[in-house]
Amino acid sequence: MSGENQGGAIVPYSEEAKKPVVYPLRHGLKPPISRLGISWSRGNSLRVTVFRQPSEDSENEVGGKAVEVRLDGRDGEISDAQWRRIAYGSVSPFALLQSRKNSFASLSKISSTTSPFDAEWWEYVLEYSKDISSLLGNQTSTTQSLIEDPKEVLKKDPEPSNLKAAWELMESFYADKLSQAWLPERLVDWLADYDSLFSSTQETVHSKLVDFQKDLVSLQVIEDEPKYWEVMSSALAVGWLDIVVKLLRLHGSYQLDQLGNRETENGLVEAVAVLISKMPRMRPELEAGKLGECFKAKPDFMKAWEKWRAQIAKLECSTFWIQCAHRQTQEGLRNMLQIMLGNTNNLCTLTCHWMELYIAHFLYIRPFTVGLESMYGLAQKCIQLKPMAASHRLMGLLIGILGENIEVVLAECSKGFGPWMVTHAIEVLTAGSHQADTLLHEERDNLGGISMEELHRLVYAQVLSSHPLTWQIAPIYLTSCIKQGMGLLEMLLYKQPVDHNQLLLKNLEICRLYELDSVSSNIMKHGKKGSGVYWLQQARDEARLNRIAQQMFDSVGRSISDENFRQWEGLIQLLGSEPKTAGGLEFLHNYRDFKKSLLQIRDGKTTDAARQAVESLISLMKNPCTPQRFWLPLLHDSLKLLNWEERPLLNVLQTNLLLNKLQELSIARLRPDFIEADLPPHALSSVRLALATNLGRTTLEEQ
Amino acid sequence: MIRFCPPLNPNRGYELAKGTIAAARRSAEMVWLSPIAVSGGNIATLDKGTTCSSWNYCGQRLATGSTDGTLSIFDSPDPSSSSFTCNLKTKVHAGAILKVVWVPPEFGDAVACICSDGSLLLWEEIVEDAQPLQWKLCKSFESTSTQVLDVQFGVSSTSLKLVAAYSDGHVKVYELLDPLILKNWQLQAEFQNAIDSVTMFRKASCISASISWNPQKGENQGSSFVLGFNSDTPQLNSSKVWEFDEAHNRWLPVAELALPEDRSDEVYAVAWALNIGRPYEVIAVATQKGIAIWHVGANPELDGRLSVEKVALLSGHGGEVWQMEWDMSGTTLATTGSDGMVRLWQSNLNGVWDEQAAFQPTA
Repeated sequence: MSGENQGGAIVPYSEEAKKPVVYPLRHGLKPPISRLGISWSRGNSLRVTVFRQPSEDSENEVGGKAVEVRLDGRDGEISDAQWRRIAYGSVSPFALLQSRKNSFASLSKISSTTSPFDAEWWEYVLEYSKDISSLLGNQTSTTQSLIEDPKEVLKKDPEPSNLKAAWELMESFYADKLSQAWLPERLVDWLADYDSLFSSTQETVHSKLVDFQKDLVSLQVIEDEPKYWEVMSSALAVGWLDIVVKLLRLHGSYQLDQLGNRETENGLVEAVAVLISKMPRMRPELEAGKLGECFKAKPDFMKAWEKWRAQIAKLECSTFWIQCAHRQTQEGLRNMLQIMLGNTNNLCTLTCHWMELYIAHFLYIRPFTVGLESMYGLAQKCIQLKPMAASHRLMGLLIGILGENIEVVLAECSKGFGPWMVTHAIEVLTAGSHQADTLLHEERDNLGGISMEELHRLVYAQVLSSHPLTWQIAPIYLTSCIKQGMGLLEMLLYKQPVDHNQLLLKNLEICRLYELDSVSSNIMKHGKKGSGVYWLQQARDEARLNRIAQQMFDSVGRSISDENFRQWEGLIQLLGSEPKTAGGLEFLHNYRDFKKSLLQIRDGKTTDAARQAVESLISLMKNPCTPQRFWLPLLHDSLKLLNWEERPLLNVLQTNLLLNKLQELSIARLRPDFIEADLPPHALSSVRLALATNLGRTTLEEQ
Repeated sequence: MIRFCPPLNPNRGYELAKGTIAAARRSAEMVWLSPIAVSGGNIATLDKGTTCSSWNYCGQRLATGSTDGTLSIFDSPDPSSSSFTCNLKTKVHAGAILKVVWVPPEFGDAVACICSDGSLLLWEEIVEDAQPLQWKLCKSFESTSTQVLDVQFGVSSTSLKLVAAYSDGHVKVYELLDPLILKNWQLQAEFQNAIDSVTMFRKASCISASISWNPQKGENQGSSFVLGFNSDTPQLNSSKVWEFDEAHNRWLPVAELALPEDRSDEVYAVAWALNIGRPYEVIAVATQKGIAIWHVGANPELDGRLSVEKVALLSGHGGEVWQMEWDMSGTTLATTGSDGMVRLWQSNLNGVWDEQAAFQPTA
């Protein structure tokens, strides 16, 4: 038990304690509400019943509503169907990684040299990360139209999602070891893909471009438009070089009819365009269509960078500017040169939020930034310069990552993106750092002895359990939880409805798979009593089966003429011919045969049927399973057989057996717990008389 | 031509940056019931005069009771649907039904109804050949002078038990004799909710009671439940954990969930959390002082008592707590009470309990 926390302390409700979020619960009832009822349904769904105070005036009013609240940590950005696709799709990468982890673990037991942080392991994690990432939508592969519209500067990407953006961050920083050397450039790419996600809360470079794109068609002399230059500079600041060059080439001086008059001007535009497209980049490669020159090694990059900067500086000081008559072009181009020279003021003015400024710093002011510590310092500086109006979940995550605080990263994943994200991101996190590995696998008393990794998997499994279409994949995550997974799986299975056979079979299959015998036998007992016998047999519930057998004896023992004979005959048939499932049932089988023969005799069929009935009677009386209280009813039913007119049907041996049983019965009647059969009072004596007569007749016959 | 930013206040920016990081740190204290999307919505509409409701084990059937003594059963067409309609109504009593409780699924489809005259009725769904489903009275627990306040069923490996708490402070435990017949119950024990078993409190008058069985379903699991009263007799009020002593065939109080100074507090509700692998049990107890979370040790100490520790006292609903329910993993507690709200409570990574979300019903 956790001893060190403040036992019995009142949870502080001072001003600083955070207030919980209050969500409206819409029920559509007219007030007054008299009471509420609550009940957890499957997984994370809570059902709230709202009862209305009945009023006298109206007759047909509603008395209450039941409302379901699903606490699944979903934000509505992604549709239900898409979520299920992601949930199902992530099962196999997750399971594959677990099985690889297990085989790695067993390998490292053999040789201490193998550690899960081996190169090979990284590749597995990266493969996993890419598999997951591909489920979240394809960001980069946009189909390009055959005829390219020169005025379409901004390609219409499929709507990017915050979830995908978050996953890419995790992948870049933790899973992809190769990208560690060029993290700033990866962030440049990342912002290019996801800058639009910030547009909903504030202006972004992306939203500026989108706005300008709309105006573009109607603009006659584009270079006269101040917005043209502003938008280009902004795009340049965040490194969207291809867009900037494309926009530059829309400059009026390129038009054939003007080329003669505006030669110098055009030369300057083209010079800037060339400088932009030759920008040295510290990265292994660039996607097709993206501009810049890649350098893998830092010394080569530095050399190229210096040279490039020298060229810009040279152009900046050149005399051609004086000959450029178009004022906007001159100012606009020189502004762009200032950006490339890393003028802080210009960068700060042209970017909208801190992340854009941050990227601009990487590109033009501190291109040699390496290491998370300096990246974190720079981020703090940019946040200072451009404070966020409202916090954004992606920014929270990025700050956590840069701050190298695993707990914050986890919390941001969980808070911002929900249980699916955190469960799957943990795999990437633990592979990325020993600190995370320790933190996530440490068993905590406060969590009832489980690790954080297990906690998050349990929470995710609970979310999966809430939906009838996803509960079936919850066991995969639960079985990866060593301590409490099975406990929750049992609960989950127990709470599945069993009135539907298909579902029940699925349920049993899961039980078989995970060897949950006690659960399967329990759930087989649910539901309607009548349909239960088969399942009880499957569950090997001897106690209940014997009770059923007893009940049937009671109803069966009364009379052979009963209408319900057909009913229980069918029921016995249903029980199958397997002997030994329960002693009582074996007796019922024989008893059925016996009664059937007796019925045939009554219906007029003769000696053969009678002989069969005698066979059955003898085997019943011999069988130790036959309850003693049935002996007399059986014999009483057989009076006709014992007094068979044509000839005695029982031989001496058989008659003696029955007489012995009768004797035993007479002694048993003296015991207090004896149950008297529901028969006429003279039943015993008439049986005794019949047996004595039969003995006489058969003795005579045998002689 | 170029838009200028407003002059920066570097201090303000720094404060914000600090704020962001501090917020991130705070969130590191971890809330795993994170962003709540309230989806779903209306799933059933109840008749006028409905007073109580209860979902069955899998949430596929809803039983409601009303002021005119009608029991209504709601079903959904298939397991993936979450729309429930009333398919059956039976008049089970002349007066009002105050509470409905489902019998555990192993024992068929049946409900216990507590009625306004204090009687307790068991109604069972019967399928007879070629006849439509019918609900029939299978047992009536009559009592002349006292009223049943709460009833709960507990399943042990051998049998089904029923605990009923009465308005005179008595507790009766009944046992089902035959697992197939819900008719035959035997009174196994009768006692008062007091640690001292010798004294009898004859003139106790109780307003309400709350019972919660240990929900564990293991083979070797013994029977135990927790019970608290809201009464005028201080000794009966505090919640006690009762455990069945197989060897001597008797019920024993093994723990009291109240600090010495709180023992006379009226108890509104108790809830025993599911335990999927914790080394201790968690029980919530609501009194007018708030909702207390207790850890109860698994193994008895030398005197036969279980060790108990109150780990939190939550502010609750500022008055009466109507109901408390633990989720399927036993980590989130949902409560509702006289402030008309539904609140969710969880413990964070440091073991500190706090409210995580609240729901306010609105038209």
